[in-house]
Amino acid sequence: MRPKELILIVEDDPAISKMLSFSLTQEGYKCVVAEDMHHALRHLQVYKPDIILLDLSLPDGDGKNLIKTVRSESLTPIIVVSARNDEKEIVTSLDMGSDDYVTKPFSTHELLARIRSAQRRSLGLTRSSERITCNAITLDLQRHSIYKDQTLLRLTPTEFNLLKYCILHPNQVLTHARLLKEVWGVGYQLEMQYLRTFINSLRKKIEDVPARPKYIVTEMGIGYRFCCNDDIDSKE
Amino acid sequence: MNSITSLKHYALAFVLQTLITIVSTLFTESLGMVNIALIHLIPVLVIAIRGDMTATMIITSISVILFDLLYVPPRYSFNVQDLMYAWSFILFYVVGYIITIQARRLHATAIKDILLHTLSHDLKTPLSSILGNTSILLQKRPLAEKDRNDIILQIKNSGQHMNRLILNLLDSARLQNSQSFLRKEWCDFEDMLGVALQEFDQEPDAILLSIDPELRLFWGDSALLTRLLVNLLDNGLKYSHKNRPVRISITSVPSEVRIVFFNESSPIKKADLKNMFEKFYRLDYTVDMGGSGIGLSICKDIVTAHNGTIGAYNSDGGVYIEVTLPVSKHPGDTPKELL
Repeated sequence: MRPKELILIVEDDPAISKMLSFSLTQEGYKCVVAEDMHHALRHLQVYKPDIILLDLSLPDGDGKNLIKTVRSESLTPIIVVSARNDEKEIVTSLDMGSDDYVTKPFSTHELLARIRSAQRRSLGLTRSSERITCNAITLDLQRHSIYKDQTLLRLTPTEFNLLKYCILHPNQVLTHARLLKEVWGVGYQLEMQYLRTFINSLRKKIEDVPARPKYIVTEMGIGYRFCCNDDIDSKE
Repeated sequence: MNSITSLKHYALAFVLQTLITIVSTLFTESLGMVNIALIHLIPVLVIAIRGDMTATMIITSISVILFDLLYVPPRYSFNVQDLMYAWSFILFYVVGYIITIQARRLHATAIKDILLHTLSHDLKTPLSSILGNTSILLQKRPLAEKDRNDIILQIKNSGQHMNRLILNLLDSARLQNSQSFLRKEWCDFEDMLGVALQEFDQEPDAILLSIDPELRLFWGDSALLTRLLVNLLDNGLKYSHKNRPVRISITSVPSEVRIVFFNESSPIKKADLKNMFEKFYRLDYTVDMGGSGIGLSICKDIVTAHNGTIGAYNSDGGVYIEVTLPVSKHPGDTPKELL
């Protein structure tokens, strides 16, 4: 059922790349491994991969340069694989155009979900109807309202815009700066206080238990992710 | 913590200084200048061995002043007849300096040894669980589905455990470089608690939450404060009586945020209550809990870096750990609404 997409794995640690290609092959993907920048660039030309998994620390250079190279030519989804305690690197690489990230140690389940979600976005498979539903939450673009379990949510204008932006970008990591820029506007990118306050008040309205959020999940030091189980993911 | 230890240093030094002054004054003639000078080095050595440079320098200065004032002719004046004594004064400082540096080096080596020891022990425990369990899985003998799942879950838990330990070590390294490395931003404790809860595969009723609805944003290092919550939660879950919930409450008043963790357990000895936050301290009878002596000491470092206090006490058939963090900066009014 699944087409044989080709994934380029750029990773210098053979233990990790072996594990990745094993589990990805089991899922029906084809894999090519590059253990450094040099090979990555060559494989990029030869194989034209559909998705790239990129470890940022490579023996012969900074993986971020690869993002730049790829983005200058195509929108191939890039998922960064990074060590923890490296939030700055991750944020920079997201700003440079990578689509998502996973931190080591990660579960293959998590990675597969990220791959599918990035793939769908790049194929333009996001739903474009007037009503967008994510679990119990429904955004009605025409009526300019958001419902939870068919009950209208009473949201302030900022809360509405923030939630709308999240619903329109499901399962995708949204950096602090991006949310602030998109919801508040250019010049507000550093106003973390706004974001924290409104995420908190939004959670009180949409989450069953705000301290155990199911929708707006925090990505520590990076941003937030609006989690939305769609058909394909929920089968796992 | 530092200020208390240095207070102790000073108190000890002043007692010594007084004793020395009494002895030297009583026996000035019979002792002779050289011995009086050497006696005045005693407080310098006693303090320098503790590795606190400021304390060493202050005590050295006091020793030099007392020596000069009371014994170096002309007595009872800061004047010095013989320039030879100026050299003695300088030597006081040199001795103090060298010993302090050496003491620090020894101290660092000792910590490194303990760290290495803790690390190898604490990493070995989950590692042996991983290796042991994988070898069971690799055996040809068939396993009941439930056993298989249990084993895999064990492996996962051990992996998560190792991961937490490593993250703790990284944070600990960052904290060694003290306050200047705090990355402060506006933090939402409810949000951070949510992140901390994600680290544990627990049923929701294993952890009961009570969060002040009026909780305001806190100016602090969110990564470290999350680590604080993770470690306290880890500790609570580890030492709680089986199947009894851990309770967490976060409350705030304008001047401070208070975080309380409670788990049911047998009472902890008084001395242990105080020492459990010291580096690499672990209660004797819990050696095999698979815990790490590093977790709570990092909690203390994180709290201290935010100028707060952490303490533990026995009550209500369990142990409370209470963290108080002073508010250093108030968030502005509710951020502006969009029109």
